[in-house]
Amino acid sequence: MIIGSGAGGAPLAQTLVQAGHEVLMLEKGPLLRTQSQSPDGLSDFKRDELFATGAEKRLKVPGMANIGESFFSSHVEPDLNDEPHVYRDTDGRDRATIEGYTAQVVGGGTQLYGGVSLRFTPDDLRLATFNAGRTDLRDDPRGEVEREARDWPVSYDELEPFYSEAERIVGLNGTRSNQEKPASAEHYQPPLEPNPISKVVAAGMDALGMRRYRTPLAVITRDHAPSGRTVPADHETIKTAFVNRYGDALGLKSNTWVSILAPMASSLNFELRANCNVTHLESDGERVTKVHYRDPMGGRRVVEAGTVVVACSAIESVRLLLLSGAADLGGFGERIHSSGLLGRYFLTHCFGGASAIVPERADKSRTLDSDWATDHCARAEWVREQGLWAGGAIYNNTSDAALPISLARTWQAQDMDNIWKGYLGDTSIVGPGFEDYLDQNFGRRVSVSFMANQVAQPDNRIELHPTVRDKWGRAVAYVIKDWHSHDQALMDVLADQCGEILRRGGEGVQFSGQGSVGGQVSRIANHVLGGARFGTDPKDSVLDPDCRAWEFQNLYVADGAFMPTSGGANPTLTIQANSLRVGRALLGRL
Amino acid sequence: MAVPAVEIQKDDQYVLNHCTRFLARDSDDARHDFGQYEPGDPRARVCEAWRYPVIDTYFDGTSVQASYPFNAVTFIYDDRGAAATPQEVAVVGTFTELHEPVALHRVSFLGEPSGVWSVTVRVPKGQVHTYKLRVDGAWVIDPLNPQVVELDNGRSWSRFFTEGCQIPVTLNRRERELLGRLASHLLPFRLPENSRFIRGVYESLDRAARERQFPLAYRLDEEVGVVNYIDKVLARAERHHLDDYRSCLELIDELLRARYPGREPSMLPRDAIADLYREMATDRVAGWDAARYGSPRFFLLLLRRHAMTGAFVHPRHGGNSGTAGWAYLQDRYPFAWQTAIEAPLGESTDYRG
Repeated sequence: MIIGSGAGGAPLAQTLVQAGHEVLMLEKGPLLRTQSQSPDGLSDFKRDELFATGAEKRLKVPGMANIGESFFSSHVEPDLNDEPHVYRDTDGRDRATIEGYTAQVVGGGTQLYGGVSLRFTPDDLRLATFNAGRTDLRDDPRGEVEREARDWPVSYDELEPFYSEAERIVGLNGTRSNQEKPASAEHYQPPLEPNPISKVVAAGMDALGMRRYRTPLAVITRDHAPSGRTVPADHETIKTAFVNRYGDALGLKSNTWVSILAPMASSLNFELRANCNVTHLESDGERVTKVHYRDPMGGRRVVEAGTVVVACSAIESVRLLLLSGAADLGGFGERIHSSGLLGRYFLTHCFGGASAIVPERADKSRTLDSDWATDHCARAEWVREQGLWAGGAIYNNTSDAALPISLARTWQAQDMDNIWKGYLGDTSIVGPGFEDYLDQNFGRRVSVSFMANQVAQPDNRIELHPTVRDKWGRAVAYVIKDWHSHDQALMDVLADQCGEILRRGGEGVQFSGQGSVGGQVSRIANHVLGGARFGTDPKDSVLDPDCRAWEFQNLYVADGAFMPTSGGANPTLTIQANSLRVGRALLGRL
Repeated sequence: MAVPAVEIQKDDQYVLNHCTRFLARDSDDARHDFGQYEPGDPRARVCEAWRYPVIDTYFDGTSVQASYPFNAVTFIYDDRGAAATPQEVAVVGTFTELHEPVALHRVSFLGEPSGVWSVTVRVPKGQVHTYKLRVDGAWVIDPLNPQVVELDNGRSWSRFFTEGCQIPVTLNRRERELLGRLASHLLPFRLPENSRFIRGVYESLDRAARERQFPLAYRLDEEVGVVNYIDKVLARAERHHLDDYRSCLELIDELLRARYPGREPSMLPRDAIADLYREMATDRVAGWDAARYGSPRFFLLLLRRHAMTGAFVHPRHGGNSGTAGWAYLQDRYPFAWQTAIEAPLGESTDYRG
């Protein structure tokens, strides 16, 4: 029984199904098919800007400080009035947020993501060792960085074969040379021609001696045998800018549905039930025995559980375990809370970057999500030189602001809660001012981002909200988190590196600015990690090294919740590789 | 123009995909009422009731070009609240021969009735239709669809319109004319050189192109379908803003008539509108009756969001008429939108819309 069909749930499902085990997968969201899969030849995903960010709605959740405000969500993101995430803002007041949700659809977040599929570095998995005895860390007066750093219970070498396998079955394009992440096998498909606007990024990286590579992206550029997918004859038509925040009608973006689940959908030992929302787990002693869920129209149903894998994305997985514990305090509750750490050490990424306006306008509508990446700031010597505890990946974004409406609605809006606000607040964009705005920006904006480890802190946590309920009457997730002073130092350094790339990008590049999510507590880049970390010590972790809940025989968590540190790159590929690793461990036990 | 119904087969998965997120729930809270419903309207309890009936792309399995003039319209009835499970549900409307009901079918999950009934029919784009459901012989308006109209005979019917519809459904002529003036000044298309360009776009659409893209190129004006987009979004997804438009268009009409006696507000020069915008941006508009509408700035921002969207949205939503907005961008900048967009609107050979 696997709950969730995204990066955490799908890969291990494949391992189990191929080995002949019976697998039932429950997915809360709909099963939206590609043109070739759908009986009527049409996809439920459209190349339509209103699918990424739809109509305005109003927040009506009682008790929220942002009640009455506008919000905008995509067609596969939850409605905030039905299923809000609530976070505690810096003013101490609670606000509902669209941040922290991945997509609710078969394939999960991999349906809407930009597809950036970087590995973590070997050092990302051993940050306790890396930082042991250091006295040179910036802005860490209380020594928390070293104290809270944890090595993963698996090394890069142990995870590496699963990275390679994930890259093979998912279907990526990119280049390997110049990466700081050793690989035992090569499964990248060739990248497409970079968007011309990325020239300045390549030039800036070169000027700074940053060794660059084509960003690995989960989009196939050639026919992909493992999933049976084929590409259009003209490969360049794969680039449409309907990438990040759009599902792909053609199935070329390698989400877990098209790459992993659909190819085995007709297997007799695999069943996928879409539109089914698991409400809680029930246990008897050390075994989870039943999974309670709501069917597509809300009817209560129960299935007997053999082995249960929870993979609903970190916040929702933690919430499901908390709700199951609350329903059975002495049984499930006592076991799942044995370490007292469930929900704690919730993580996201230190995230930020820089942007500029280039002199030579490009057609950004013909692009994938990113062209160039560098591990320059992930190298151990660089990290030490900077007095930082960990490094991060840097890559440029090409699909942002590529289409006319997205240019406006993301104008000076750093997160999805602020969609449209920047553009609307700038009332000079009218008539001739509108034309100036387009002249200055359309096809000329380029940005470079970094993605880096956030310091693990026990008080950054997921709880059940004391009063807010979802449409089923269940307590919603309550996100309580803040940045460490070292996080801010790290983000300042990395934002400046991104800024340098653009400032060295060549003649005529107008630097716009640099910054990070530091100082904001809502923005989480939709990389939700931790909250049920794995480890070797049952007192210091929620999951054992195979991602099994310590006090249960048959309960596993396979999404990003297992991470004790958040890695210096986008997390999806690592979640997929770990899912394959957990699947392998399960084979030995079933 | 009544024609026999052409029923389209959609599987249960398709229908449930359009139901679960919006309809399934325990909560009775009216959390989806943003001011668009009368008190007590049960639609306030479900999410995005405006989605019903579902208006989707049609494909005949062979030709994207031949399929383009049609939509697939899916009627959905949820019997879970009924006192007794109905034995028969059908739909009758102006999209087919009257008195020829089209039966809805039970939608199953795991071989059991889900409570949902549905049927999908082919309806031409660009049309407005009224319909009713017949549930065990009793005629009812669609309990989900918020679009209800009262016909001349005083009876209420449910209404829907298909993609690219140019028939006004929300705003009256006077409102549309003033709105056209306001919107065109927000956008760059009224600048003389752009105005010529946009006119050229429409004039270059020959008869064949018009028929191919029917009915997406219609209005030869400088607001490139923005008014029509607003007319449609106020009927469906953002019906909660209808009162904003009604109140503010009336206020602005009165205010401009008072400022420029004897002149038609929709014919005023650019400076008159630009002055008004400057005042609205600061929320201090001379002569604005705040008792009738509190914040002119709020309305300006709403109008700007809708104008921006309507100018460059996919034409299925009623704006970007004849793709003039995209053509304008393409004329000025490298922007080869056609490669990604379905034929015959665009030139993608793979994507069907």
